[in-house]
Amino acid sequence: MKPFRRRGDEVVARFADAEASIVGLLLDQLEQLLTADPDDARGDPALDRLLPPGHEDVEVAADYRALTESALREGKADDLALVRATLPPQGGEVRLDAEQARAWLRTTNDLRLALGTRLGITADTEPPEDPAGEEGSQLTVYYWLTAVQGSLVDALAAGSGGRR
Amino acid sequence: MAGPLAPTRSPETTTGEESQTDRPWVTVVWDDPVNLMTYVTFVLQELFGYDEPTATELMLQVHNEGKAIVSSGPRERMEHDTNRLHAYGLWATFQRDS
Repeated sequence: MKPFRRRGDEVVARFADAEASIVGLLLDQLEQLLTADPDDARGDPALDRLLPPGHEDVEVAADYRALTESALREGKADDLALVRATLPPQGGEVRLDAEQARAWLRTTNDLRLALGTRLGITADTEPPEDPAGEEGSQLTVYYWLTAVQGSLVDALAAGSGGRR
Repeated sequence: MAGPLAPTRSPETTTGEESQTDRPWVTVVWDDPVNLMTYVTFVLQELFGYDEPTATELMLQVHNEGKAIVSSGPRERMEHDTNRLHAYGLWATFQRDS
């Protein structure tokens, strides 16, 4: 991966073939999670983290969810589709305008939230010592996604000097 | 940190008392182990128009104290703010200001 850099009004990165495949698989998994039958998926910690309660009170949270959840799901699905459309399946250059970059920000964050929840990431978690082990490989992917998203945030922040 | 911060004002010009009488609801962002500090700062700037020092201060409050009030105002607006934060994957709730 060549991390995201600002180039004029756009941000640009480059993904290797294998990296693009991994992101593609993760997008498929995220899509399955977001489109699963709510009765089956409710209680899944990863989904609960992606669609969190809006209020501490259970009843208020339920009313709020009834009003907002479908739009939240749709927004995440739209972002995911946009990421898929701008990622060359065999790897290569990813070039994003401001709006596309926001979709990438949100989706890479959702991927990290889902993976991080499954892996039980805490503030004290460190990158794996054995990247080859199964847990290691998932953690490796998590930290790789962190680097992708971190470079995207930095590239966008670098272009926002003096705005507003 | 003193009181809730209004979105478009600097902390120096917003007193806690003012916020409590005019703005009975707040949006709270909670700490979580996944969201990057730079990302949280960016999102707070993006959604609320905070300047970078203010957004950074709020992010650090979330990180160090576990939560921070990021906006205050009528309930409907706080529900909307919570929703916008959820779209970005931040862990947010709305509540009546205490």
